[in-house]
Amino acid sequence: MFRRWIVATWRQVWGPAMSLLQPVIWIVLFGQVYTALGSLPVFADGGYIAYLVPGILMMTVLYSGAWAGTGYIDDMNSGVMDQLLSAPISRSAIITGQLLQQLVINVLQSAIVLGIGALAGARYPGGVVGILFALVAATLLATVFCCASTAVALITRNQVALIGLSQMIVLPATFLSTTMMPAALLPDWVQAVARWNPMTWAVELARTGLDGTLFNGSADAGLLLAQGGALLGLAALAFAWTLRAIRGYQRSL
Amino acid sequence: MSAAAIEAENITKTYRTGRHRSIEALRGLSFEVPAGSVFGLLGPNGAGKSTTTKILTTLSLPSSGTARVTGADVVRDAATVRTRIGYVSQGASTDPLLTVRENLELAARLRGMPRSEAARRATRLVDEFGLRENVDRAAGKLSGGTRRRLDVATALVHAPRVLFLDEPTTGLDPESRAAMWGEIRRLAGQESLTVVLTTHYLEEADRLADRIMIVDHGTKVVEGTPASSRRRSPETGCASSSSNRMPNARAVLPHPCWACARCSSRSRGRRPCSSHAPTTARPRSARSSRRSMRRGSP
Repeated sequence: MFRRWIVATWRQVWGPAMSLLQPVIWIVLFGQVYTALGSLPVFADGGYIAYLVPGILMMTVLYSGAWAGTGYIDDMNSGVMDQLLSAPISRSAIITGQLLQQLVINVLQSAIVLGIGALAGARYPGGVVGILFALVAATLLATVFCCASTAVALITRNQVALIGLSQMIVLPATFLSTTMMPAALLPDWVQAVARWNPMTWAVELARTGLDGTLFNGSADAGLLLAQGGALLGLAALAFAWTLRAIRGYQRSL
Repeated sequence: MSAAAIEAENITKTYRTGRHRSIEALRGLSFEVPAGSVFGLLGPNGAGKSTTTKILTTLSLPSSGTARVTGADVVRDAATVRTRIGYVSQGASTDPLLTVRENLELAARLRGMPRSEAARRATRLVDEFGLRENVDRAAGKLSGGTRRRLDVATALVHAPRVLFLDEPTTGLDPESRAAMWGEIRRLAGQESLTVVLTTHYLEEADRLADRIMIVDHGTKVVEGTPASSRRRSPETGCASSSSNRMPNARAVLPHPCWACARCSSRSRGRRPCSSHAPTTARPRSARSSRRSMRRGSP
C-alpha cells in the first residue's frame, strides 16, 4: 500500500512541489512584514526569522495534512476502495500505507522548509539533534492532521466538505497559537486558547529543539514533556478515529 | 468442498436513511450457485443486485440471513472468503495513476504473493488479456474496454475460485462489449472458476450465463437456466406473454426487448415486439385483478 501511494505521488509530483512554494512565500512575506519585531527583547538573539521558521514548518505540515483525505475520496468515487476492502488485507494496513507515505513526504518537505529558512537567515543552534527533534514534532502533528483529514473524508465522502472543513480549521489553528507571535504578545483569550492548541505544542517543541534551549536547560522540560505526550496521545486518538471511520464506511456499504 | 460455490439463505439488508426511516434493499433472498458455472444476476437499477454482490464479496454485512462462498461464511470467515474471490466493481477497479503492470503487481502483492511471483503472474495476465502494448501505460489513460479488461485481469491475479463481475459491460461501446463477452466466455470455460455476472441486460445473461436469477425490490422474481426461465414465441423468438414466469421478469426489466436476443434488430431495445409490449408483459397487480373481476371482465 505504501508503495502504491509513493508511486502515485511521484506521478503527481506537482502537488508536493506546489506545497513547497507556500512556505517560501510565507517566510518571505511574514519575515519582511514583521521584521521590525525582531528588535523586541522577547525574540532574543536570533531575530524574528529564527522565531518564525518553526511556525512556518508546522504550517506546511498542517496544510499538507489537511489534504490527506482527498486520495480516499478519489478511491471511493472510482471503485478502488471497494477493491481494497475486498482484498485479504487488514483495514489498518489500508490506513497505515497512506499515512506512512504522507509522513515520508512530510519529513522531506519539513527538511526543505528548514533549508529555505536557513537561506532566509535563520540559524539553528540546536544542531542536527535539534533539527531531528523538530522533525519528530512535525511528524507527530502531521499524524494528527493526516488522520483527522482521512477520517473526515471517510465520513463525509465529499471533496467540497473536506476542503471546506480543512480551511475552517487551518487558519484559526495557525493564528490561535504561537506560530507567529510569542504568547506574551497575544491577547489573554488567545493565550488561553493557544495553550491548548496542538499547533502551539508542536511549534514550541520544534522551536526549543532548533534554538537549542532544549539542551541548555533553559526550557521548561516538564511543559515540553507534557506537550510531547499530549501530541503523541492525540496522534494515537486520531489514528483510532481513522480506523473507526473506515470500518464505519464499510458498514454503510 | 461444497458442490455449490455460493449458498445464500434468506439474506436481508436494510439501510437506515434517517432516524426513523430505512430502505429494505434485500428481503429474504435465497439462492445457490453451482461451482464452475456462470450465474447471471439480473434486475433493474435498485433491485438489489449490487447489494447482493457486496454482501457476497464481504464488502457489506447482511442485516440477517447467512451466505457462504466456497463454504466460508461471509460474516464469520470474511478473511477466507477474500482470499478465494475476485471482484470487479461497477466503476473502474484499478488505480488510474499506476501502469497496467503496476496495478496487476499491486493486486498480487495485496494477496500475499512474493515480488517475483507477482511479476510472473502479471506478465502472464498481460499476455492472456491482450494488454501487452499497454503494459506501461497508466490505467487512467486506457480506453474504456481496455481498462475493463485490466479490471478483470486484476481480479484474477490470485486465481480466485469465484469471480464477481458487477455490470462489467455498462458504459462500453458495442465492440468493447463484444470483446468483454469473449473474455467472460473464455473464463467460463475454466472448470475451476465460478463467475457471478451482475447485469441489467437479459441478452447478456442469456448469452453468457448457465443460470440466471432476476431480482426486483430485493426479492427473487425468477431463477433457472435461461431456457427454462422463459418460453419463446415461435414467430419472434421473444418470451411469450403467456409464460407464467417471464412476464414478471420482463416487467422488472428497463427495456423489455433487450430481453430478447432473437428479435429483429429493428425492434431490439427501441420498439418492443408484440409479445414484449408493456401492456401485455406487465403482470396485473392483485388490486387491478380484483377490479376486473368486479366488472366481470377476464
